[in-house]
Parts: sequence; structure tokens; C-alpha cells
Amino acid sequence: MLTRRQFLANAAFGAASLMIWPKLTFAATGSDARFLFVLLRGGLDGLESVPPYGDPGYQAIRGGLALSPSAAAQPAHKLDDVFALHPSFDYAAQLYAQGQFIPVVASAPPYWGRSHFQAQNCVENGTARPDGAQTGWLNRCIACMPGMDGLACAAVMPLTMRGTVKVETWSPPLPTEVNPILLQRLQPLYAADARLAAPFARAVAQQNDSTMSEAGPGMLAQQASKPGNKKTGGLPLMMAAAAGFMGKADGPRIAFVEDDGWDTHANEAAIVVRKIAELDAGLKAFHLSVGQAWNHTIVIVATEFGRTAHINGTGGTDHGTGGSMFLAGGAVRGGHVAGDWPGIGARELYQDRDVHATTDFRSVFKGILAIHLGVPESLLESRVFPGSATAKPLENLVGSGRTAA
Amino acid sequence: MDASGNDITAAVNRFGLGAKPGELAKVHDPRAWLNAQVARGADGSHVFGGLPDSLGYLGEEARLLATRREFKQGNPGGRAFVPGGMPPATGSGQANAAELKRALKPYREEARKDLLAEAAARYQLAMTTDVPFVERLVHFWSNHFAVSIDKRAARLLAAPMEREAIRPHVTGRFAEMLLAVETHPAMLLYLDNVRSVGPASRLGQRVATRLARRGAMAKGKAGGLNENLGREALELHTVGVDAGYTQADVTEFSRALTGWSIPLPRDFANGRQPQSAFVFRENAHEPGLRRVMGRTFAAGGFEQGKAILEFLARQPATAKHLSLKLAQHFVSDDPPRSLVDRMAKSYLEHDTDLAAVYRMLIASPEAWEADARKFKTPQDFVISSLRAAQIDLSGRPQAVLALLKNLGEPLFDPRSPAGFSDDSANWIDADGLWKRVQAAEALSSRVAQADAQPLAFAMEILGPRLDDDTAQAIRRAESTRQAHAMLFACPAFQWRA
Repeated sequence: MLTRRQFLANAAFGAASLMIWPKLTFAATGSDARFLFVLLRGGLDGLESVPPYGDPGYQAIRGGLALSPSAAAQPAHKLDDVFALHPSFDYAAQLYAQGQFIPVVASAPPYWGRSHFQAQNCVENGTARPDGAQTGWLNRCIACMPGMDGLACAAVMPLTMRGTVKVETWSPPLPTEVNPILLQRLQPLYAADARLAAPFARAVAQQNDSTMSEAGPGMLAQQASKPGNKKTGGLPLMMAAAAGFMGKADGPRIAFVEDDGWDTHANEAAIVVRKIAELDAGLKAFHLSVGQAWNHTIVIVATEFGRTAHINGTGGTDHGTGGSMFLAGGAVRGGHVAGDWPGIGARELYQDRDVHATTDFRSVFKGILAIHLGVPESLLESRVFPGSATAKPLENLVGSGRTAA
Repeated sequence: MDASGNDITAAVNRFGLGAKPGELAKVHDPRAWLNAQVARGADGSHVFGGLPDSLGYLGEEARLLATRREFKQGNPGGRAFVPGGMPPATGSGQANAAELKRALKPYREEARKDLLAEAAARYQLAMTTDVPFVERLVHFWSNHFAVSIDKRAARLLAAPMEREAIRPHVTGRFAEMLLAVETHPAMLLYLDNVRSVGPASRLGQRVATRLARRGAMAKGKAGGLNENLGREALELHTVGVDAGYTQADVTEFSRALTGWSIPLPRDFANGRQPQSAFVFRENAHEPGLRRVMGRTFAAGGFEQGKAILEFLARQPATAKHLSLKLAQHFVSDDPPRSLVDRMAKSYLEHDTDLAAVYRMLIASPEAWEADARKFKTPQDFVISSLRAAQIDLSGRPQAVLALLKNLGEPLFDPRSPAGFSDDSANWIDADGLWKRVQAAEALSSRVAQADAQPLAFAMEILGPRLDDDTAQAIRRAESTRQAHAMLFACPAFQWRA
């Protein structure tokens, strides 16, 4: 009997010619730029991830959750006279020192309503309203770049990547082999189903790409999921898998990874130590797996909102507003903290409870998309982020990292 | 009444959980078949009989925590117990940690065994039940009131919540199901209400005084309001996010829910047995009137929060929110507005009686249109395969759990209180389809009727939805097993039509 691989290699069925990552991608423009968007669902606490230890109000408002570079146990990584990084951000701190990491403080999507789902919808649909668009901004971005391919490392297509352009999803495969004859006979059946034809053709083509299922991220994912590596959780695995695809010459240039478990209503300190360590390990795993393409890469890490400045009654924090986002990669002009700090004194909080948001996420996205991916500003305004005229692209985010590398 | 083959298939495969061999042939009047199920109510006492109840699970957890505490005895830094929380592992050195691990091992193994037994019973019932429409409704409401077990404190309780709070009310009044859910320990732990304390309550005041004396905010101490349950109960469980409520409504409702809690581990100490898995703690309850969505609710302890839930259940916004979700689940991603409006009207006219809403759905012509269909979610795919194949699960419930996880819909683990998406667009993609083909291969070797004539078997499952090309492909399959794989992997099997 033929093995699945031999069959696929020899088969002359129509779908086999449908490459999943067509080579014309960006060969025409000569750009090697890569972009990864990491969404942390649940609401990462900005005051824990980027503690403003130099703000005179910080210690008082944070009490037992306060972090500082001068703490005896678990000192935070000092960035400047005001800000530090959470102690678990070891690798990010190294990147920062190399000019390849930027925290953006006091940032938020344009929706300030404190609902996970509504806020995530806004982060993903790129508008100021939870129902402002049924498609994702990253899909619309890809639509503005002919020949560009996208990948969502998720079992289920996230809103960020939903839209008119076909984007692939990927998650670690099942161990079962598929009989090539079965596959051959399924193809005409699926070709006749208008809704399923295209995704099925891509599924078959994806299997035809040997590096994907065996030597590629699939193998990597299997290795990463071995017992003993469990502590690192899902995020490093998925970020390494994304890097495996993106590092290839004809791989997707734009990818999405998501994680959850950031909703720290109770016992926050212990949860954040573990979760930020996962994110930090994810950045490292991505860097190692993506290889040379790192020099042309920008990773954005975002969450749907920050959390209350005050600690609640259960050692955690509730849904808030301004939070932190992160940029990393060889193409980042890093080594500084971006965003305007509104302060967290009594009169400076939003509704007496949250860090104010002074940077609209879309300003960061636009700043990256315009310069790093070369999306024309007119398209950013009209198609990718409609109605975002007040959110001017943030400058000084892209550049020197690449020349330094 | 039209009893065309398509209507019968729709009743069994779209309203139900997918055909068992012989099931299509037994249905003569599809509407009457569904209505009879509504009248009969949820099945299951025979498979769930041996499982612990929530109180039993809480006791199990309490014994685990007590064992852990014994390891900390003599440690002056030991903290008071916080309900639902994992006390910090203290102990000195690795030897101590290993010893603790050994001591906790029996509890961990028992928990693992319980989780598997719950899953085995749930899918055994889904595979065999003769009231599959009601069973689908149980799963629907369980997902509506999602408790995600990635939150450890709720891990053992999501399955019993479905048994204790959803099943008994699935054909009853929504108002009663709502109260049963919001007073269930699974929901109270999942959305942090067990830790929520009214700032002006006796407990809140005592803590405030203590903190003031110390002159600093201390973390990890009981004594504050938590809005999680209040917010999600409005946004997800009842009126829905567009109903016009404000942050003030969320806070007021959350204050009314303070004191809704569960027995503490110490209530289980020395062989004691609390009477109920729900405890109302007067001393944590915020005193005073509450104002929610324009209505004032008198002070009255537990009754106050209960009255707010009664009020919310009867809101037109709730009627619409629930009717839309039901129509989206049973008819199409974008159901006709006329259908949703009619269901919502029925809900309000019958005082939140869900049976009336289901009967209206069944009676509505929009529910039987030829283009009404839904793409199977991973769980739909797995359950409909199990029903067709009649696989003996008793030995290996793990295999079903692993398959659900790999296909993207792990049991009780949507990672969000919004539950799993019910939109076809969320589930249609290349990676997901490929994994279904892989799953079809694996499942095909386990069909109980291994000697069945494959084409006749496929017709028993898909009825008139088995198109000529698929029938031909099944007929031409190189083996019975490959024919079964073709059935589970073919596009027609991926739809509830």
C-alpha cells in the first residue's frame, strides 16, 4: 500500500497544485517583513507586567502586589527611572537591552466598557464598537497586500483573522494516518459543497507540504508537549509553531497566536508569575525557531484591557481600562518605553479605579503596519481601521533594530 | 403535517443528536416526535446514579485541603482558608514537597477517576438516549451557562452542575434554571462569587477595621466586592450585552449577590456533613436596598438577589436573547427574525416556560425550511458518530475526551464564560476538516455493526441527505471499514441538515 506521503507526492488531483503559501508572496515587493500578533485573553494587569515603580502613587495603591527593582525577593527588571518589567520577564529584559523590545504603557482598545468579550471583539475587529465589524483587522490588513498569506495558530479561527481573505488555522495534528484512497474519493464530494470546498482543498494541500506535518511545527509541537515540558504551557508551543511556519522562505508572513488564563480576579501574584513566564518563554521559543527571519520580524503582544489599580478583596484585580502591550523583534526600534503615562494618583485614575488609557491600540497597530508592512496610510484609514482618524499612527516603533542586527 | 423524509432527517439530525441505526425509520411525525420528548423531559437517572453530587465533590476537595494543611501545621505563617483558593504551598525543601505530593496522590487520583466517570456517563447517555432533542437542549443550556474547567476551583463541579441545575429544568421554567445555576457551587466558584464580600456587611466592616488598624492594604484577605458573577449574569445569562444596563447596575447586582457562597472546608471537618452545597452568608451580605435596571429591590438577604434574578428572567431583553440563541442553534446562523420574535413572545406569555418556547420553535414553518442547517461543532461530530457507530465507551472515555480536545471543543473547557461559539463560520476550516477525516478513520474501526451493509448503513444515518455521489463513493469503498470512514468523513455528515 502506498503511504499517504507517497500518494500525495504522486497524485495528480487538482487540489495538489493549490499551494498553501504561494511563492509570489512578497517576492514581488522584495520585503521580508514578518508580523506576529499575540492576543492574551482575560486582561493582563499593566501595573504588574510593567510596574511604574517610580510613580509616587504606585506603592500605596498596589500594596502587597507592588513590584520594584530594589525588592529583596523577586526584583523587577529596571527599564528606566519610572518603569520596570515583571520579574518573570527575563528574556524580554534581555531583548530590551538589545533594543528589540518596547512596552507600551497605558494603552487600550477604543472600547472602555470592561467586558471581556466586548473588549476582545474591539481588539480583534479593530473598531471602537464590539459589533463595529464582523471581520478582523488583521484579515483586512492581509486583504490590502495582494499575495500575502496569513496563519492563525488556533483550533478555531479567531475573529482577528476572520474576513474575506482565506487564512489558515493550525493546531497540533492527531496521530491517525489517512488512507490516500479515501482522501482521493472525498475530494470530488467536498468540491461539490460550496461552503466546504475551499477549506478541504487547503487541508489536503497542507498535508502535501511535508515540512508542515513531520519535520515542521507539528514535530516541534509534539516535542514541546512531552511530559516534563508541561510547565511552559501552551503559549511557548504555539509561538514556536508559528515561528516554524513563518521562518520558511515561502511561509506565511502574518500570523496570530492566542492564549488565555490572564483573568486574575483572585490570588493574582502567583498567577501572573506563572503566566508572564509562559509569555517570556514564548518570545524566546519564537526567536529561536524563526531563525534569521527574526531580523525582519515584529511581534505585538496585546490584551483586551488592563485591570483595576486597586486590589480587590480577594488578592486580585477586576476588569479595568488602560493596560500594557509589548512589541518585540529584530525590526523593532526598541529599548524605550512607549506611551504617555497618566499617573495613578487619586485624581489621575479613570473613574477612580483604572489606569487611564492614553494610547489607542490602533495607533500602535497603524504605526507598525504602515512602516513595517508598508500598508499605505490611505488603506489603513479606509479599510483596516475605519473610523480611526483620531488614533494617529505611533512613531518611533520600527527601524533601528533591523540595522543593528 | 408534512412528514417528508427531509423533515424526519431534520428532526433526528438537526434537532436531535444524529441518527442511531434504525432511528429514522421509527419517526413518522417529526413534530410529534419532538413534542413528545419535550413532554417527557430529560433522561439520565440510570447513567448518573453512581456519581457523587456537588456536596460530595466539595467534601472531597475539603479533605484534600485538610491533608495539605496538616503539612503546614506548626507553620505560624499559615493563612486562614479562602474559599475556592489554593493555599500557597509552603513546606521546606524538596523532600517535604515530595511527601506532600504522595499524601495528595489518592485525592488527585480520585478526582481524575470522577472526571472520567462523569464524561463516560455523559457521552454514554448522548450515544444511546431516545430523547436526543432534550439531550441536545441540555448541552445547549450547559454551554449557555458555561463553566470552564481551566479554572481549577470549578474543575470537579462543571459536570454535576449540568446534572443538578440544568437537567431538572431543561423543559421547565428558565427562571428556575437561572436560580439553580447562580446558586450552584460551580458557578459561584467559577465567577468568584464565593469570595465576594459586601463592604458594608459585618464581615466587610470587620476586615476594613482590621486593615485600617494595620494601616495598609493587605492582599489575599476576604473583604471586597467581586463583580464577576454580577456582570456575566447580565451580559451572558439573561438580558444580554445590548440591554442598556450600566456599570452601576453591574455593581448593584453584585452587591445583592454578596453572601451567595458554598460550605467552607472546616464545615466538613471531623466527619461533619453540611446540608447543602449552597450557603447564604448573612454576615458577608451587603445590607440595604439595591437598584438594578430601574427597579428597586428591598433589603432581604438571599431573597433580594433571588428577586433580581426573577426580574431579569422575565425581561423582554432576556426573552429575545435566549430565543435568538436557540434559533441560531437549531435553525441557522442567521435565523428569520419572525421566528425569534414568536419564540420570545411565547417565552414571556408563558412566564419563562421553556417547553412553550420549544413547542413554538417546532410549530414554526421557518424551522423546517429546506435551507435550514448548521455545520456540526466538534462535539456534534463526535456524538453523531458515536450514535451511528454505537461504540462501547465503557473502557475508554479518555479517547472521546482527547478527540473533543483535538477537534477544538474540549469538554466543559471553553476558556470563557461565553461558552463555545455556535456560529458555523467559527468551525469551518482546513485544519478542522483534516482532523475530522483523521477521526473518521479512527472511528470507522469501531463501528458496532461491523458486518452492516455499508450503503444501507449510510442511508440509515443520513436518510434522503445521502446524495448520489456520496452513495456511489460508499458503494465503491475497498472495505466495510473504509465505507464507514467515508460516511463519517463525507461533507454530508458534517452538516446538521
